Amino acid sequence: MTKPLLEVRDLVVRYGSRGLFRGQPRPAVSGVSLSLAPGQTLGVVGESGSGKSSLLRAILRLVPSESGKVVLDGQDWLALSPRELRRARQDIGVVAQNPFLSLSPRMTIAEILAEPLLARQGLARRGLQDRAAELLSRCGLPADFLPRRARELSGGQAQRVAIARALALDPKLLVLDEPTSALDISVQAQILNFLSDLKAESGLSMLFVTHNLKVVAHISDHLVVMRNGEVLEQGTTAELMSAPRHDYTHRLFGFGMRARQTAV
Amino acid sequence: MALLDIRALSVDLPAPGGAIHALRRVDLTVTRGTIHGLIGESGCGKTMTAMALLGLLPRGADIGAERFLFDGMALRDVASSLRGRRIALISQDPAAALNPVLTIRRQIDDVLRAHHDLPRVARDARAVELLAATGLPDPARVLRSYPHQLSGGMQQRVVIAQALATGADLLIADEPTTALDVTIGAQVLALLRRLVQERGLTILMITHDMDVVAEVCDSATVLYAGTSVEDGPMSEVLTRPRHPYTRALLAALPDAGPPGTRLAAIEGRIPPPFEAIAGCAFAPRCAAAQAECRLRPPPERQDGQHRWTCLVERGTDDQAAA
Repeated sequence: MTKPLLEVRDLVVRYGSRGLFRGQPRPAVSGVSLSLAPGQTLGVVGESGSGKSSLLRAILRLVPSESGKVVLDGQDWLALSPRELRRARQDIGVVAQNPFLSLSPRMTIAEILAEPLLARQGLARRGLQDRAAELLSRCGLPADFLPRRARELSGGQAQRVAIARALALDPKLLVLDEPTSALDISVQAQILNFLSDLKAESGLSMLFVTHNLKVVAHISDHLVVMRNGEVLEQGTTAELMSAPRHDYTHRLFGFGMRARQTAV
Repeated sequence: MALLDIRALSVDLPAPGGAIHALRRVDLTVTRGTIHGLIGESGCGKTMTAMALLGLLPRGADIGAERFLFDGMALRDVASSLRGRRIALISQDPAAALNPVLTIRRQIDDVLRAHHDLPRVARDARAVELLAATGLPDPARVLRSYPHQLSGGMQQRVVIAQALATGADLLIADEPTTALDVTIGAQVLALLRRLVQERGLTILMITHDMDVVAEVCDSATVLYAGTSVEDGPMSEVLTRPRHPYTRALLAALPDAGPPGTRLAAIEGRIPPPFEAIAGCAFAPRCAAAQAECRLRPPPERQDGQHRWTCLVERGTDDQAAA
């Protein structure tokens, strides 16, 4: 087996409790292990309170981990100093749920796309415009979007800009947090198709976090089902869809199947 | 007689530079004691239809209709007086619907006091009974609680109890489970279904989620760009869609094909609401469209109880006439 790009071992995340005599709260993530092979998509699915967002934040080192290990491309991720982290974080691109919140309303699309490029430095300022246009076209948008602002775009177009920004520094890993939950069905289909194309063309590795099992099952090679901070079950998408071991997974997949069953 | 009987409802909103066609032509028939789904993507007119039913359209709205009836009454005249008496709303976000600084007791009691002439003790007993009817365990404790002390699913049950307290016979549920987790949402939907069976309620379920429609609806209407394009029994609409838009929408669902296959995205975008449309609203995005589709309104087609508007797709009932 190839070496995993991302490996998480027994990760524990616990938020501090307020008050002197309060006991320690239950961990938000308690002993989660998972691994993502290069070029693959790993889907993490769970409802609110399942710990999926805490897991994501811990992997991005936005919250501290209590114990456990995160290895990204051979690097001991949790041991990196703040300075090393600043550099290493460029290996991860992040796409958030709502593009109208994640894209600054005051900046033009060109400025939004230039920001990560400037942060890396070493790129001549005059090359920025070309690189931004190139990123847009890779995401299926015309270059005349560059002077516009996010509010002038539709939800699907804005989410493409957010993906373009995440891809600006050629990340090894793309992290997607509910990337289609704020979009209409027909637009969601466009974005899912686009992500499939990205994966096929450039072998991008993706960590896809969502509450929508059907969306994640469509795009992922492997699935992790989380509940109450723990991994309830994990396996290949085909395994989980054909034979979910847990009743909970079964219920998530079964929702909405009433019509389709009675119709046969 | 249908509880809701709407034919060719249109709503124009005044705006600088011309009217906004919020609703272009909506036909909607809802039978008593059923759950009817109103399906569509953002901007199709789902919520605007609900606002028209509740008499909550913005000032200056221009309503047109061939028929606009609730229980035989002209809604244009009586909508605002029926609101909260015979027509109640369950909104998407229960946390926003409830007042954060008042107890649940006070918030349900306000509704009971407004609608029934009952002494305090009887109102309290009624509140407990209503909360119990929504499947909340320990109603007495819930009554003493503030909204933030309840989970999202419990809050939505309280909102449903409030709607029941009005004694309304039509509940408009606007995306009632969208803010809830899937498993909790499924429980709330099961509750709504039980209430329809036990109390003879009628529910208009506004949603963009086909899974919700499949779970609870008896029948459904599909909206596109302020126009009703298809209507019929739920299983017919979802498993044998006849309008090209409904077909495209269902084909775009992530579980429409095996994992990893390309989804059938719908190219183009919804026509802007200020644009006048001569022909079929979906024609510019429709793979089956012919030149004539853009020129004149599509004819109405029918197959038993299943109705749709399309020039190209004919029904068996229309074959003889054609």
